[in-house]
Amino acid sequence: MATPASSGLKFLSNALATPEQLSNSSSAIDGVAPDLEASIRFAGALLTQAAGVLLRLSQDIIAQAIVTFTRFWIGSEGGSLRIYNVKDVSAAALYLTAKLSFQPTSPRSVLNVYGFLLSKEASPLWCINPTPVRATDPPPNPESYVLTEGQYQAQRLVLMRTEAIILRTLGFNTHVALPHTVSLTYLQTLGVTAPGVAKRVFGHLNSALLSPQLLCVTHQPNALAVAAIYLAAREEGVKLVDSEWWEVFDVDREELGFLVVGMRSMEGFAQAEFDKWKGRSVPMTVEEVESEIERRGTEGE
Amino acid sequence: MVITSLERDEYGCPRFRGCTNIREFEFLGKLGEGTFGEVYKARSKKDNTIVALKKILMHNERDGFPITALREIKLLKMLSHTNILHLREMAVERSKGEGRKKPSMYMVTPYMEHDLSGLLENPTVQFTEAQIKCYMLQLLEGLKYLHANRILHRDMKAANLLISNKGILQIADFGLARPYEEPPPEPGKGGGEARRDYTTLVVTRWYRPPELLLQLRRYTTAIDMWGVGCVFGEMFKGKPILAGNSDLNQAQLIFNLVGSPTEETMPGWSLLPGCEGVKNFGNRSGRLFEVFKDQDPTAVSLLGELLKLDWRKRINAIDALKHPYFSNLPLPARPGELPSFEDSHELDRRRFRGQRAPMPPAPVGGSIATAANGSWTTASSNRHSVAENKINRLPNAARSTRPHPSAGHGDSQPRSFDNRLAESYPRAGLGEESHSGSWRRGGLPPKPPAPAHQWPNGNVNRFGRERDYNRPGGRSEVLVDSYVPRVSTNPVEYSRERDGSVSISTDGHDYPGNHQHPRQEHARDNPSRRRSRSPYARDGFRGTDRAFYRR
Repeated sequence: MATPASSGLKFLSNALATPEQLSNSSSAIDGVAPDLEASIRFAGALLTQAAGVLLRLSQDIIAQAIVTFTRFWIGSEGGSLRIYNVKDVSAAALYLTAKLSFQPTSPRSVLNVYGFLLSKEASPLWCINPTPVRATDPPPNPESYVLTEGQYQAQRLVLMRTEAIILRTLGFNTHVALPHTVSLTYLQTLGVTAPGVAKRVFGHLNSALLSPQLLCVTHQPNALAVAAIYLAAREEGVKLVDSEWWEVFDVDREELGFLVVGMRSMEGFAQAEFDKWKGRSVPMTVEEVESEIERRGTEGE
Repeated sequence: MVITSLERDEYGCPRFRGCTNIREFEFLGKLGEGTFGEVYKARSKKDNTIVALKKILMHNERDGFPITALREIKLLKMLSHTNILHLREMAVERSKGEGRKKPSMYMVTPYMEHDLSGLLENPTVQFTEAQIKCYMLQLLEGLKYLHANRILHRDMKAANLLISNKGILQIADFGLARPYEEPPPEPGKGGGEARRDYTTLVVTRWYRPPELLLQLRRYTTAIDMWGVGCVFGEMFKGKPILAGNSDLNQAQLIFNLVGSPTEETMPGWSLLPGCEGVKNFGNRSGRLFEVFKDQDPTAVSLLGELLKLDWRKRINAIDALKHPYFSNLPLPARPGELPSFEDSHELDRRRFRGQRAPMPPAPVGGSIATAANGSWTTASSNRHSVAENKINRLPNAARSTRPHPSAGHGDSQPRSFDNRLAESYPRAGLGEESHSGSWRRGGLPPKPPAPAHQWPNGNVNRFGRERDYNRPGGRSEVLVDSYVPRVSTNPVEYSRERDGSVSISTDGHDYPGNHQHPRQEHARDNPSRRRSRSPYARDGFRGTDRAFYRR
């Protein structure tokens, strides 16, 4: 039986990945280079975020979906990029999370949105459509992003199958505790009233979802919230209390330091990814992953 | 105490992990069928514990994995309380060979020997006042925890309350449960007020509160408290106290018992849409004290608080726990002091009755109706109102219309608790010739309670108790648990099936002469009666004061 302490925290805490799980992903075992895996995971999270926005889901659902998406690829029991399409896992994670929330969405809406976002001509995402669509351009051909009924039916089946695979892979661990609400409580406790800080905090927490260090599956919400507040207050020039206030929220200096560095590096990481893939799209399917691995192989020779 | 970390659980396994393979379990038999799946008894090869495996049925999932199952799993994973069924893990069964077939998922929970409904139907089990108090306390503790964590159970009923032989009661079946968006109940304030709408297609009819029958959508935790009241009354009466055969009839039964709604007893009731369009329920006064005149006045007082028409004033779990009923003599028994009984489960009882469960269907609930493809519904779908049938677009509804040998009598009868009565009070008058028919006939008039002095010499004795005395107990366990019953159209074929699948060839020894008779199905179909009729620890109790408790 779980101890009272750990069970009482269930609403506020998440299961975390073990070090072995972090160093042995299924994809790595299958020969996907770590940097490629990081790129694809980052692009997949971006795709999930964009799809959530287009589906008008609230950010807490989107954030939970990204955490579920991230969890899926972790560890040797997790999913491999050479077996599952990133785009399908992203769509199923979002659909599944929305289904469990107060804002369920239909398979058709999800697939329509993904059809648009994955279109190499129409997508506004740099990681899929490398040539950005400008307002002055003629509108993209609708045939490039509208699903036919046949495609819809086929993809709906894939969506359902992928949903079941995610559930199985995660052992039905669908609960995700987010740092966002906790951070607001902490801000109030600290007496911070500047709205700029709160905005910055949410900014950092949302970008931490995309972090290559997988901050959201390696750290608890309270630590993420504290780090985001620390960083945001610095950036906004708001002075917090003098003492080691993070101790109050059960975060030690070392963890705080690590998280602050991780969060601060996000901007640079995103820019580096953008530059790295300039002119090319990030693989979103197993075939694309395969051809990317092949391309790298021939380049190396 | 085991130290748990956030990366690893109490067994040292990573918290992030997939499902356990079903081969880690050894199947021991089928126990019953829940809202969305079948339940099996199994042994875990890992730690040799006995568990229950609930299979999640996955037909007609237009919307993917059933939302009811997802909600149940997600909720159970978060909850941790002695009186809430503990979800140990999830197990997956991959079908061999065919790649097309989808793997089956199972929920793994500890094995509990009884459910309350089964225990109450077992005529040799009489609840003492101290025992009832003990169960009530546990039920209320569980609900208090649920409601404090802002969860509505929405399917309170005796069949969903599991009881172990250690006397522990646990609330199970969270298939209709959902997070509740209002503040949790506070002492002295009933269920509070809800601000958002929820679906009214919840709670099994017999346990459905009046505000739901009148289509209140902004309901509160008070709906679960009504169910507690029904269960409480059921423990005294030995059968469901409000067994309506339609929603309208249910409302009428309620108002017969506790009085018609008025602006005083149920403020705002006349503004509700009403039950099936009916809004006039006469002008009756409550007769709770009359119906429960054999019970202690404090018991009836608590019952009245739980069965209060005004959902705003209906007592909440926090306050109910402080009710004088629990501090008056006799004091509640401690769980460990309670006697243990032979296992009673839905399927055992069904065999006992020789038919599928007579419960009204569990409601479809939720926004996604397809998710609730339950077998409850199949069992009785031909008895609901048209409105309900419309909701139950069930893939397997056809099963329910399968005639059984006595189809002429049973199926078209309006359903009431006559059945349960008939079956829980087997009488001598139930002649031999009526065996295969009467057990499943719904239309018998309500039976009077059995005489208090003696066990009747009905078929129960013949196939049930005598057998029990003649045979060593150990073997019967195996027999009972290893067989999966099905209502069959053809009894002879049925028994052949059984003979083929399970080695029970010696079974006939116990009642020679029955062999080639169609009745045999019935006779053999009844090992459960034997089981449920022989409690381990109630020897001096049998029969004599039974009627006293079970009226």
